[in-house]
Amino acid sequence: MKPLRLLLPALLALLVSAVAARAAGELNLFGWSEYIPQPVLDGFTKETGIKVNFETFASNEELLSKLVAGGGSYDLVQPSDYAAEVMIRQHLLSPLDPALLPNLKNLAPEFRQRPHDPAGRYTVPYMSGTVGIVVNTDRVKTPVRGYGDVFTPALKDRIVVLNDTREMVTWALYTLNLPINTITAENLARARPVVASWVKLVKVYDSDSPKTALLNGDVDVGVVWSGEAAILWKENKKFQYVIPAEGAHQFIDVLAIPANAKNKAAAHQLIDYILRPEVSVLISEAFPYTNPNLAARKLLSAEQLANPASYPPGHPKLETFRDIGKDAAAIDRLVTDLKSAQ
Amino acid sequence: MSAAPAVSDRSTPRWRAWLLLAPMVAWLTLFVVVPTAILIVYSFCERDEVGRVLFTFTLENYHRVLDPVYLWIFARSIGYAGLTTVICIAVGYPVAYCIGRAREEWRQRLLLLVMVPFWTSFLIRTYAWITILKQEGLLNGLLHQLSPTASPLDLLYTPTAVVIGLVYAYLPFMILPIYGSVEKLDGSLIEAAHDLGAGPLRVFSAVIIPLTLPGIAAGTLLVFVPAVGMFAITDLMGGARVPLIGNVIQNQFMQARDWPFGAALGAVFMALFAVTYWVMLKFGAGEEETPA
Repeated sequence: MKPLRLLLPALLALLVSAVAARAAGELNLFGWSEYIPQPVLDGFTKETGIKVNFETFASNEELLSKLVAGGGSYDLVQPSDYAAEVMIRQHLLSPLDPALLPNLKNLAPEFRQRPHDPAGRYTVPYMSGTVGIVVNTDRVKTPVRGYGDVFTPALKDRIVVLNDTREMVTWALYTLNLPINTITAENLARARPVVASWVKLVKVYDSDSPKTALLNGDVDVGVVWSGEAAILWKENKKFQYVIPAEGAHQFIDVLAIPANAKNKAAAHQLIDYILRPEVSVLISEAFPYTNPNLAARKLLSAEQLANPASYPPGHPKLETFRDIGKDAAAIDRLVTDLKSAQ
Repeated sequence: MSAAPAVSDRSTPRWRAWLLLAPMVAWLTLFVVVPTAILIVYSFCERDEVGRVLFTFTLENYHRVLDPVYLWIFARSIGYAGLTTVICIAVGYPVAYCIGRAREEWRQRLLLLVMVPFWTSFLIRTYAWITILKQEGLLNGLLHQLSPTASPLDLLYTPTAVVIGLVYAYLPFMILPIYGSVEKLDGSLIEAAHDLGAGPLRVFSAVIIPLTLPGIAAGTLLVFVPAVGMFAITDLMGGARVPLIGNVIQNQFMQARDWPFGAALGAVFMALFAVTYWVMLKFGAGEEETPA
């Protein structure tokens, strides 16, 4: 009898929540795998009764090809800046209604109205990060300030970098003091010898988990996502993060509503829920990126705020990627060629 | 093999035979013929700036495939796969031979040992190799115990690591077909060769090898073809330093958003397999005719 008595309320609760879910509707969310913590979604469902169907992708390209092909029916998507730019240009996104998003006031202004969405009409920043240098200070005693200090013969075969052709060319363009979003044949020709000398020094290319090679001790320095560096720093303070003096790529992952979304009201509700400081802080705890939510930052611990990979000190030169369309093919060929030639 | 002539003596297969074949034919049409057709159509298309495939005819993609950069990568992929195949034969043949000639009750157990790795996901097994080969890994730990002064081996993220990974992944696919051939080997033929005065080496090269050649040929196909296109091992164990053709193709479909070029690379890649298969068939058939 006892188990039954315990079970009954649970069953009832399940029934009630199922009914509530039907009443409030469902929301189809398409985001980076594991990027939105489950407690955030559970809290949202509990409060609003809206059931969240969370589908995930592993790259912006996957998201883009799915949306461009007209596949899937999503109410909320989570592209990075340059992918959002393409989607805005292709009329794939629906303008947001600021009246439904009172918590927008929590955001730091420098993360809104960036080149990918100049008026800030289509996107809301979710998390932001940079691509910078992480140094194992136990093994590397020379000061490392920029790309030039990483790619030196002294560190040959002790370097991990992102396995991303555009990233590498961007670092070379920064070193040459050339614009990173205007890809011309002439600039690429100038970047070529720089990248050529770099590929001879790199030991590992890894975009998925560059921290592994650093943790394993196979390499001592890396040019990696700041999130990876933040996790390394949490693990061991010997891993120091440096924003390259020449300039660094900043990415802003955003939330946006597709033009063909069926439940735009619920999508607005979830965006505003995520913008709440006490919810946003949960995301910071799971992913130590830069949180654009100033109200949420106030709830972070001193140690979290001191993490140089999450909140880099000073005023470094940071730029987001713009969509470069077909020029990507030229970059791809350049790096493939140089990697292959060694 | 010996049953083939008996069947072909019969008249052409009737509708019942077709009915039995229907699921296979449907499967092949749906999952081989149609995708291949799509691949070939895409390879002649263009892409727009977003990566959408535009159905306008162009030879540009094949022109790019012939770029020395990609031809060189094709050549290197074949080199890696070839080396893997040779090592798999050298290592797998003795293993398969011993299992095939072992006592009946032992054979199943030994075969089981060959197949045990398949019980674990391929990716997990590859990560296990990383744990073994990394700088502060099991292998270097062991070496350090044996000789504390020696400097640690630098194995992970080198071409050697890639070959180790490839051989490890594909060795069972070499052992199993060779085992099949060895098991069927007629012991009296070996005895006859001995009786006629052939030494062990001669018996091996003139009798055993030709009789197990179909197994070696099948194993070679099963190892060589997938090894050419492998991309996970080169990424994980090779540190993605040296691109192989599998990596380049994967990159076109993912990061570069250039499906038509990826399709053209894939089409050339498939043509390569067709040629390999044709060569193997000719080679295999020619060898089998000699003893007959």
